[in-house]
Amino acid sequence: MDLGTVELTPEQEAFRQEVRAFLDEIVTEEVHEHERRTGDGFHVGVHLALGSRGWLFPEWPVADGGAGLDRVCQRVLALELARRHVPMVTHSTTGLVWAAVELSADPELAARLKPEVAAGRVRFCLGYSDPEGGSDIAGATLRAVRDGDEWVLNGSKLWTTGAHNCQYTFLITRTDPEAPKHKGLTMFLVPLDSPGVEIQAIHTYGGERTNAVYYTDVHVSDTHRMGDVNAGWATLQGPLSAEHGAGRPDDGLSDVGMAMGTREFEAAIDAAARWAKHTTRPDGTLVADDPAFLDRLGALVVEAEASRVTPGPMGRVKSSLSYIAGIAELVDLVGPEALLAHGADGAIEGGVLDYAHRFAQGTATYGGTTEVFKGMIAQHVLGLPRLNLPGSKQWVR
Amino acid sequence: MERFELRRQDFRLDDDQQAVREGFGDFFTKQVPSSLVRDAQPLGFDADLWQRVVAMGATSMGLPEEAGGDGATLVDLVLVAEELGRVVAPVPLVSHVVASRLLARAGGAGELLAAAAEGERVVTLALQPGVGGNRQLVPDAAVARDVLAWSAEGLTLHTLPEPAAHVPNQGSTPLAWFDPAAGERTVLAAGPGAEALFRTAVAEWKLLTGAALVGIAESALQLGVEFAKSRRTLGVAIGALQGVAFPLADVVSEISGARNLVRKAAWYAEHEPATRPDLPLVAFVHAARAATEAAWVSAHTQGGLGFTVEADISLFFLRAKGWSVLGGDPGADRRHIAAALLAAV
Ligand SMILES: Cc1cc2nc3c(=O)[nH]c(=O)nc-3n(C[C@H](O)[C@H](O)[C@H](O)COP(=O)(O)OP(=O)(O)OC[C@H]3O[C@@H](n4cnc5c(N)ncnc54)[C@H](O)[C@@H]3O)c2cc1C
Repeated sequence: MDLGTVELTPEQEAFRQEVRAFLDEIVTEEVHEHERRTGDGFHVGVHLALGSRGWLFPEWPVADGGAGLDRVCQRVLALELARRHVPMVTHSTTGLVWAAVELSADPELAARLKPEVAAGRVRFCLGYSDPEGGSDIAGATLRAVRDGDEWVLNGSKLWTTGAHNCQYTFLITRTDPEAPKHKGLTMFLVPLDSPGVEIQAIHTYGGERTNAVYYTDVHVSDTHRMGDVNAGWATLQGPLSAEHGAGRPDDGLSDVGMAMGTREFEAAIDAAARWAKHTTRPDGTLVADDPAFLDRLGALVVEAEASRVTPGPMGRVKSSLSYIAGIAELVDLVGPEALLAHGADGAIEGGVLDYAHRFAQGTATYGGTTEVFKGMIAQHVLGLPRLNLPGSKQWVR
Repeated sequence: MERFELRRQDFRLDDDQQAVREGFGDFFTKQVPSSLVRDAQPLGFDADLWQRVVAMGATSMGLPEEAGGDGATLVDLVLVAEELGRVVAPVPLVSHVVASRLLARAGGAGELLAAAAEGERVVTLALQPGVGGNRQLVPDAAVARDVLAWSAEGLTLHTLPEPAAHVPNQGSTPLAWFDPAAGERTVLAAGPGAEALFRTAVAEWKLLTGAALVGIAESALQLGVEFAKSRRTLGVAIGALQGVAFPLADVVSEISGARNLVRKAAWYAEHEPATRPDLPLVAFVHAARAATEAAWVSAHTQGGLGFTVEADISLFFLRAKGWSVLGGDPGADRRHIAAALLAAV
């Protein structure tokens, strides 16, 4: 076991200073204001600036557009980005898709895209979820029909987050409606500027923007197919399991579990703790002196600590559910001030609790719902039998 | 509070730690069938088993080398305690190890410490500060003649002619009332230093008990999972139903987090005790809740059978609460935890 602080070499320390100075320069108040206004999870200026340093794919060799960073420096960079709340949603979807591009795309296409992706000029989003239901990924309905060297796409996807800032979507399509459901899927990397693609905004009360994307007679070259025809399920496994936390090096420089929202939860807890120290209630008592307040706040600290160290898929469930229950409790503890909006008179630290409460709800849904994960834990961690339902193997419409 | 500190998060056990875990795991599994646990009721002490636990080195390993120990770390000790909890072994190891370590730190009572290291005398600790001569329930005091207690007077060793009378209790633990006026009293330390020693010992007791509760929770879970795999309804195994499977998935999530939290708290207490003194309490609160939930969910998974005395889950259900409650109201711990946060932000 080693939970100790990491001693930096002089070079690593210099790198940390470089990161801090650079981020101080590029992550301006305008970046945060932009994020509050758009909910894009993306800022083009920041993204390109990171790309210019090779810091979008910092582990890649410099020759490939990365920065050739060692694991410690990668962690230093990740922590400094997190500390500054840099919007990273499109960055992370791009990374997930790249893994599949490298494995399954036409090598010429992959070679052409690589420097663009590293520089930040080409970005990818995830076109998995169907309007009819996202949990049953293999039940995808968007049709792709072969037409010579091309494919013709018709249908729609919901929740393609970042589509309006991306050049390609990593799309699941149904190519054989007669086959068992996992055997009739094919993946494509679809250029989003293709005629027939229409992107419409969807806004969440968590402040995020995501999209509905409609595909009407969209023609895609066969060179944009990813993996074999009807082998889409296999093509998808790499990026899906990476999204579910697999494959992180086991050297203690990654997070323990796939905590969702724990940073936001902690930020709200810390803000409430600071608030309690200097706030007297209308009856003149200091909040920090109230034993009931401390008892309930202490329970939330325990939940956040547990969320951080709960491993693997269990951490995904634990963190999200603790956060949702815990932030609602924290709002009760603080009272109406907790829900004052950013910029309002009396808003706590820029409305951090207001934001954290709204943001929490989505964490139980995207990336695979908490129920989907409980199902995986039941089967793969506990070894419980799987439930066979009419649509488990067949494509049931 | 620095939330973005560059630290390793490496929870892998090294070879020595793995050996401790496996060695004690094998030992407890072989030596403590559920029949032994039942036979030790209601006192919750098996003298033969205690001798074998002593022979394993469990009573001395956590003591400094000068005191006849091996200087095992708190990480080693939580590994042992988890294995002990897994079989709910009827031995007073947690209290004894913690009280012996406290004796060693306080100094004096060298003869007793030597006897404690050999397991010849059982030592325990009164977990509540003594105020106004009020009596309190003390874990394992029904099998220990030597009780360490802290009051305004200081840290005091109370040596009784014989252990106090056992009070039957739900968790079948060797619980007894401790009367601060009883026995021969030796003040071992006084002043703020004595209080600090006492608080550290209580934190260690909670840490090791938290580890034992993780073990209890794990065994409870396994009983529920095995039942859910074989029991059938409507032509399918009940474990295929989400109404049965999901609560068990919640339980394994709580347990895996509690286990890491206990190990994290042990690591900090060993290597950086001043950095996060609240962590043992955090770990205890979480482990106590995980054990409570695991025991109830597993018992319920087993339907009416899970409510019977014959079912082994009864042993774990009764001890999940029966052991954790000895640490007092977790509300007090939560207030400490919050106060530590307020001081750090
Ligand atoms: C803000 C946001 C961003 C997103 N970004 C993306 C993205 O970039 N790309 C993308 O492809 N998708 C994205 N998603 C979609 C997300 O992955 C889906 O919302 C999610 O998988 C659930 O699908 P659904 O909303 O259709 O709900 P459904 O699948 O219809 O589920 C409805 C409810 O039923 C439960 N349920 C469903 N199936 C089961 C089952 N087998 N067992 C038990 N319970 C079940 C679910 O847990 C849920 O509570 C995003 C979603 C949100 C909210």
